[in-house]
Amino acid sequence: MNSAHENDRLLACRGLTRWHGSGCPACLEETGPERNTNVCPRCGTVVALAQASLDLRRGEVVGIIGESGSGKSTLVKMLYFDEEPSAGKAIFHGPEGVCELFELNAAQARKLRNRYLGIVYQNPHLGLNYRHSAGGNIAERLLLAGVSHYAEIRERARVLLRRTEVPEDRMDELPGRFSIGMQQRVQIAKALAPGPPLLLLDEVTTGLDVSVQARILDLILELQHELNIAMLVVTHDLGVVRLLAGRTLVLRLGRIVEAGLTDQILEDPQHPYTQQLISSAL
Amino acid sequence: MSNAPAAYRKTAGFPFAYLDEYAKKEIRRKLLKALAVPGYQVPYASREMPMGRGFGTGGVQITLSIIAPDDILKVIDQGSDESVNACNLRQFILKTCPGVKPTTRPEEATIVQTRHRIPELPLRKGQILVFQVPYPCPLMYVESSESKRKQMHSEQDYARLLVKLYEDLVHFKEITISSRYPTRIHGVYVMDPSPIPRWDVPKLHQSQAIHLFGAGREKKLYAVPPYTDAVPLAFDDVPFRVEDFTDGGGARRTCVRCGSDDTFLDEFFDNDGRRVYQCSDSDFCNRRAAAKTRNRKEDLCEQRARE
Repeated sequence: MNSAHENDRLLACRGLTRWHGSGCPACLEETGPERNTNVCPRCGTVVALAQASLDLRRGEVVGIIGESGSGKSTLVKMLYFDEEPSAGKAIFHGPEGVCELFELNAAQARKLRNRYLGIVYQNPHLGLNYRHSAGGNIAERLLLAGVSHYAEIRERARVLLRRTEVPEDRMDELPGRFSIGMQQRVQIAKALAPGPPLLLLDEVTTGLDVSVQARILDLILELQHELNIAMLVVTHDLGVVRLLAGRTLVLRLGRIVEAGLTDQILEDPQHPYTQQLISSAL
Repeated sequence: MSNAPAAYRKTAGFPFAYLDEYAKKEIRRKLLKALAVPGYQVPYASREMPMGRGFGTGGVQITLSIIAPDDILKVIDQGSDESVNACNLRQFILKTCPGVKPTTRPEEATIVQTRHRIPELPLRKGQILVFQVPYPCPLMYVESSESKRKQMHSEQDYARLLVKLYEDLVHFKEITISSRYPTRIHGVYVMDPSPIPRWDVPKLHQSQAIHLFGAGREKKLYAVPPYTDAVPLAFDDVPFRVEDFTDGGGARRTCVRCGSDDTFLDEFFDNDGRRVYQCSDSDFCNRRAAAKTRNRKEDLCEQRARE
């Protein structure tokens, strides 16, 4: 690898594994797509994700597709420190140097998450505090990232809401009064507030009607071009990865069964499961 | 020392200062820890007291643990020596601590037990101020789980407290927290200074006296040692400020009794339904009012002498 390539690195996950249960030495062998189960027949442990490795460069968008229960959300939750991995590591090349995410102590992890990671959940209820105004939600994120200047917080919140097409004069309203599409845009503004190099999108358009979906996707695409943020896009909607992601991983029963350029995967799927997934969707 | 309590116990039926020596020792040990880690909430075994939890049992237990027969005690409730809570607790402490003398003058007292105020007169070195605390944790508003709050304290994760200040500024153009203003002690832990008004918060900063806080129902003790920083949370560009008692015309309101224009005032309606203001610190107000009449009399005497 040349050095330019080296500097481009943002995230490298190696062997990320997460199981729920006691775990036994046979767990990983006895589960997976070949065995057609993710429950270990010996000890009953559920293997949510096994041996997942992926690389992400700065400004790159990688899609993760798969059916529900395939481990997509588990992967994102671990990267956002919402869940702890059972094994594996993730190297993050952040603005303050390189670190292994799961070796950080709680305070370091919180700091890294607050400054350099953003997440947008499927349900805005998970990402927003409905007792605070839309501006207050963004302020929370900025305060967590260490901004303690009131006027600056106001101004940055205003800019973010403008950018995500939320009317500025509704900045001090409670998000509960907004339409779902607008709540989702506030959530995106909140996730973007500290200017993170990596944004995690967990099924952001699922459950929205088609025209709202299109506007949210447009917005995300626009922001990505403008701010050059790397994104991990988790979805089961093939249209979303086609639009957003340059590369795509296909997950099944906790394993990555196929990875490659999105076009290639959608047009010429190699793995039988991917073939099935794509033929059933189209 | 060892025989005296035992002898007292025999005659009175309970030990000096009501609590047994083991209980007092435990509380004193926890107080030392609280003083060593300023602003940190130390859990302790809050004893049953012959009064309901929430009536100042935390403060009473601290006072009883540190009091000796030669102490001079002042007890106030909302600044007043005469209100119900102050009278009851004072009676209880005097009854169970023979030798202790009561006073209303803060400068004479060795221990001042207080509910919701700090006396107007500055305290000096060697004095101890004991606060009765209903809710010890400033994070209570933003996080309901105690174990998460503990973790937030240990990581000094206080940003979410500022969101409340942000929302206040947005909606009311000023911070509306009237009491229990979150205050950072010694640059580390943020503590709840008990329901004292914002007016009193700056008095904690670099004070000469010892401040001990006891929450009996919540079973927590904490402290601000002398000469320690106590900095109220605020934005860089919106500084903390105390209550301002200016009226619509921009003039400082004054106490209706003593005429003070530099004290914390309580607002109430007099018999004619007029809004009036009076010092909340009753001892301070009484003495200023007395000095005023004395001056008036002296002036009168002088005037007569001249005539």
